[in-house]
Amino acid sequence: MIKVAMAALVLAAPLAVQANPENYTLDPNHTYPHFEVDHLGVSTMRGMFNKSSGKFTIDRAAKTGSVELVVETASINTGDNDKGSRPRARDEHLRTADFFNVAEFPRMTFKSTGVKFAGDNPAEIAGSLTLLGVTKPLTLKIERWACREHPVYKKPMCGGNASGSLKRSEFGMKYGLAGIGDDLKLYFEFEAFKD
Amino acid sequence: MEALLGHPAVQGGLAPFAVALAVAFALFAARLGGLAIGAALGTAVYLIGGFAFPPVSAQQKILLISLAVPVLGVIVDLAFKPTRAAGPVLGLIFGVLVLWVGINVLKQKEATAMLVAGGGVFALAAWLTGAMFALRDDPVRAGAAALTLGLGVGVCALLSASGSYGQYAASVGAGAGAFLLVQMLLGRAIAAGATFTLSAGAACGLIVAGALLASPFPWYAAAVLALIPVAVRLPGPKAGVWLQAIALSVYGGIVALAACLLSWPEVQQRLGL
Repeated sequence: MIKVAMAALVLAAPLAVQANPENYTLDPNHTYPHFEVDHLGVSTMRGMFNKSSGKFTIDRAAKTGSVELVVETASINTGDNDKGSRPRARDEHLRTADFFNVAEFPRMTFKSTGVKFAGDNPAEIAGSLTLLGVTKPLTLKIERWACREHPVYKKPMCGGNASGSLKRSEFGMKYGLAGIGDDLKLYFEFEAFKD
Repeated sequence: MEALLGHPAVQGGLAPFAVALAVAFALFAARLGGLAIGAALGTAVYLIGGFAFPPVSAQQKILLISLAVPVLGVIVDLAFKPTRAAGPVLGLIFGVLVLWVGINVLKQKEATAMLVAGGGVFALAAWLTGAMFALRDDPVRAGAAALTLGLGVGVCALLSASGSYGQYAASVGAGAGAFLLVQMLLGRAIAAGATFTLSAGAACGLIVAGALLASPFPWYAAAVLALIPVAVRLPGPKAGVWLQAIALSVYGGIVALAACLLSWPEVQQRLGL
């Protein structure tokens, strides 16, 4: 009897850590990539990207995961998009070759290479950010994370906040460094539905 | 065959030698046998690592080419006696180069838009390069054209496209201004040649093309700017480099000013552009 019980335990043990990946697709209406940058050393200017998409996979048992994000840089919005009598609005300028060069590089992408967990929740995502055709490592810290059933749609969902920092000059965005900070902080507020 | 082409001695020696030999034989009569070096190096690059370089933006490509063009100009001046075909051929070369510069933008457009934009920047870069090169034996006109073209492109780009394109073009204008000033101070013309005209024409052509493709630089302003090398050919004062330089710069400056006005939003609104 003891032998049978031992055999059953040995057989059941792998099931406890068996991979069980769950796939989620970001809800574009509740995902807000945004950024902040120093301006002239006197203020912190913020902007966001109105269009983004992505998906992630999480395996709570195996404590692994992966993330892919695509941000449409032409959708940049800093609240100044009416040029009036000026040659151009700030958002128009940010789309030019001086900054996000959207005609040539319309997307900024992030692809994870590894996810660290703190307890049962993902805490840090290491990955590669591609901006202006240049790919560099970027780590996103997950500052908030929760999963639950959506109260209206009754579908499983996860969401949270993540952020990371980069130096824009390293991606070739070197215009106006004297007045506009080199350090760019990226924030992602996201919600995703289970596929 | 793959194993053979993968051998280091074939990649770096035999294959480049064979291609270079063919090019030298084919082109020596046209005094272009020296292209064998480029053919050999190109063959080696292709076989060893391919032409898939790391991503380079249009602006970076423009700068790379523009910085290399003066060397080409020196070679043209010192090693060749340019024929009538030199201008159109150089224009064609830089027209093709501008397509390489803008390939990332062009390939994202639909077929018709790609053809219109590609054809437009090709023609613009080819024209500006060829038209400026045609001024190589008239240093004062060449200086005035490069000064007003550089500044015109610079201001138009600042107003409509991007600050960095504007700054690069303005620096061409500044260099041309210095070139013109030396002539004015000496009281006589100094050789412009391909070194000057090719550098200015190609740089401005590439910058305008880059600004047109990557940023909202108005095409009609670019078309007006393209008239500057023609405007400086109008009759000017016969005597005195000072007077000639000023008068010819005024000719070019008027055209540049017209282009700048067309880049100004209020003027665009009034004209319904």
